[in-house]
Amino acid sequence: MNTDKSTQVKIVEKHIANLHAGYHGRAEGLFPAPDALGDFRWTDDLILSTYYQAEYGRPPENGMEYRTGRSGGGFDVLDFKFLPKVDWLPTEAEIDISLPLNKRGEGRKITIDLPIYGGGMSYGSISEQVMLSRVMAAKKWNTYISTGEGGYPSGLVEYKDNIITQVATGMFGVNEQTIKYAPIVEFKYAQGAKPGLGGHLLGDKATDTVAELRESVPWVSLFSPFPFHSVYSVEDHRKHVDWIKTTNPNALVSVKVSTPTDVDMVAVGSYYAGANIIHLDGSYGGTGAAPEIAKKNIAMPIEFAVPKVHNYLSNENIRDEVVVMASGGVRTAYDVAKIIALGADGAILGTGELVALGCTRCSNCERGRGCPFGLTTTDPLLSQFVTPDWGAQRISNLYGSYAYQLRDILRKLGLTSIGQLRGRKDLLRYLGSEGNGSSEQDEQG
Amino acid sequence: MESGSNGNNRYDRYHIETKPAPDISEWPTRFTVEVGKIGLAKELLTEIWHHKFQNWDVITSRPCMYGVFSGPVGGFSPQPEHCVGCLRCTTEYPDFVKVSHNPERKKLGDSYFTSNFIDAISYEVEQGMIPVKGAGYRGKFGGDGWDGMWTDMSEIVRPTRDGIHGREFISTVVDIGYRPNMLTFDSQGRPTGPTPRVISIPIPLIFDNPPPSVSGELIWKIYSQAANSIGSLAVLPLGAILEHNLESDHVIPLVAPEEQENIDLLSGTPLMIEMDGWDEQLHRHIHDLFPETLICLRMPFSSSEELLAYNKKGIHVFHLLADFHGQGEDGEFVLDLIRQAHTAFVEAGVRQEVTLLSSGGIIAAEHIPKAILCGLDAVALDTPVLVSLQAEFSGECADRNESEFNMPNNLDLDWGRQRLMNLTASWRDQLLEISGAMGLREIRRMRGEMGRAMFMVDLESEAFAGIEGYEYG
Repeated sequence: MNTDKSTQVKIVEKHIANLHAGYHGRAEGLFPAPDALGDFRWTDDLILSTYYQAEYGRPPENGMEYRTGRSGGGFDVLDFKFLPKVDWLPTEAEIDISLPLNKRGEGRKITIDLPIYGGGMSYGSISEQVMLSRVMAAKKWNTYISTGEGGYPSGLVEYKDNIITQVATGMFGVNEQTIKYAPIVEFKYAQGAKPGLGGHLLGDKATDTVAELRESVPWVSLFSPFPFHSVYSVEDHRKHVDWIKTTNPNALVSVKVSTPTDVDMVAVGSYYAGANIIHLDGSYGGTGAAPEIAKKNIAMPIEFAVPKVHNYLSNENIRDEVVVMASGGVRTAYDVAKIIALGADGAILGTGELVALGCTRCSNCERGRGCPFGLTTTDPLLSQFVTPDWGAQRISNLYGSYAYQLRDILRKLGLTSIGQLRGRKDLLRYLGSEGNGSSEQDEQG
Repeated sequence: MESGSNGNNRYDRYHIETKPAPDISEWPTRFTVEVGKIGLAKELLTEIWHHKFQNWDVITSRPCMYGVFSGPVGGFSPQPEHCVGCLRCTTEYPDFVKVSHNPERKKLGDSYFTSNFIDAISYEVEQGMIPVKGAGYRGKFGGDGWDGMWTDMSEIVRPTRDGIHGREFISTVVDIGYRPNMLTFDSQGRPTGPTPRVISIPIPLIFDNPPPSVSGELIWKIYSQAANSIGSLAVLPLGAILEHNLESDHVIPLVAPEEQENIDLLSGTPLMIEMDGWDEQLHRHIHDLFPETLICLRMPFSSSEELLAYNKKGIHVFHLLADFHGQGEDGEFVLDLIRQAHTAFVEAGVRQEVTLLSSGGIIAAEHIPKAILCGLDAVALDTPVLVSLQAEFSGECADRNESEFNMPNNLDLDWGRQRLMNLTASWRDQLLEISGAMGLREIRRMRGEMGRAMFMVDLESEAFAGIEGYEYG
């Protein structure tokens, strides 16, 4: 676009104003939901109720379904068995939803204020503005986001105490400095949306600045190979952990893995290699770009993996020494609570945060200049559609709504802490194979 | 036919030459875009007034990045063929822009081969590439049939593979034919018993004979030339082969018992002949005429006893049929039928001696590895080939003989061949993705590897056992 700077500013201002008005209008129900919005997993109601929560910091009361989708399985066929109303804890009851992230005897103690942190989304797959929005919200809630595998834009350094440095197979942006910054270092062995396939940043998004941070060639597609060429056994993984611990002895270590049939064995191996956090990323998780065939078909959904791992670690008598975090299709506060009831300690969010910033789940993240809403893009003009202050407030409001709902769920179950919910499958009810999935919601591809 | 080498014994890496092959028949767009002209005019006037007839770049800046509003009169004449459904336009202008799924597009296909599958194939055959998109999975959680199955991946230990780029070295070659469980030799070292007779094809995909409503020289030539181009096979009617001179190593004559005499008219020796149903006399005739030719029996999925009985009669290659919706004659789904057939031969101790091909209900790239994991050696593609050629379904198309498909009037040989090449290239690449994730270096090892398959019924029962209201299955 051949326009001068002031014109560009005006164009950006115009579209920001229109977008904000649109998010507000749709969340409030001033305009009907677009027919093409939503799919089985993220229904139009879930998307618009997330807009609502991002605006107001509480769940909607206008009849929108903000708790479950209509996929006909997993979270969407489970519900809580709340106590009779007379047995609910009083609304003023103290309910603790904080989560300690180091359960081993040694090492730094870190506790987050709610059982949620932000998953890895790299610079390049998303804009710096979105990264800043996420980490500013994380700081407000005393929690974390992960860098993903794309390095550390300089603007993030002041928030390093709330940033997890991800070490993935391409080692993009990984150096002694970024390891030293990190309170937690996350090894990404696999990603739920494309298990076993490695990472992929399409050439159009590898801009000069992205390439500089990744020490690569601009406009050339980047692949993070799979697997780590230096890790072919748990012993090799242990050496990786030692490398991190030597560079930054205070860092906790998280191991992000996908959900193969032997995910329980992988979890045990990770624990014995020294992990503080085992991060299970289920197959229905988000991505900036992945082969469609991988999203549905490779590895199991998180709802099946978590109980498997929880049971195995319990039987090995090590469950209370390691934190299990779940991601990959956790869309709502109710999903967070359900995955904890199935055996996780907490959940990791990604897509939900982007929806709070206006994502419609249109699947065009990888196309051309990237996201038309300015989220999954590094396009100089588009990325201005999200300002960090606005974005941080939206995500923070979403977290606030989740915190409110988690306490409400616990109160109705008669529990006083989120830790008491872990592994309590007895507090769940199966709704039948259709569950909430009987809708004719369209599946936009 | 052996892949991996040419006549000079030089190694050739298998490659399918893809190139864009856009639709020749205009199909409905995925989305419809409605712009209220009065609303747009009001918006324009408001902006012009706001900017005092200046800042035209700002006034004319519209939300679409994909060209929907890029015509000479902009939003007054939207071009929905460019719409990707991002919804930014309707987010910015919710009061006068409406984006919907196109109901006409949704009518493509039928209740099994839904428009979502057609959309996927449409991209694959146009580009020859793997569909790659952002955002996570959008569909139903699981379900029946193929949707109730996941494939495994290997997390850390990868002794057979050298990273994602190692996928270039994953072999997709499969063998069709007969391999005895053991060889026997006399004292001179000469084989005394049966010896292997196999055709090696570079991908586990062949083209199945089109249904009766889709026939004609052009169609058969597209099939045979595409098979030739990718080094695979096409099953075509004997009559068509003779009439249109389609004989080649890549064409498998399909012979009905009443055509027995016509086999003699073949000028060469086919690598394989497919019998359309069992007929002892026909079997003997083929065997006598072409003793080196493999004989494949085309038949519906059947009981274990029946399959083993045909094996005892000398059949080593089975082409088992479900209907186009993947249903067997007793209503069972093709996934289960494949597992039963595979298991029957495993339990009889002769699985290595037979080849199982199947058609019916296998309509997406992900169905190929799943079918192979369940026990198939290779898939004979039916309706996906027709969809690649932009066939339109006439009502429900389940029956293999009665279903009506309408082909485009402007079908072209080169275009059709390229579309099928693109399809197979895309599906092969996706097969590599799946096998790469598993750490398998050759597709032959994938056959019947049930340890690398996960079924929803099993996973759910393990995860949800003890939850109130949950019952196994």
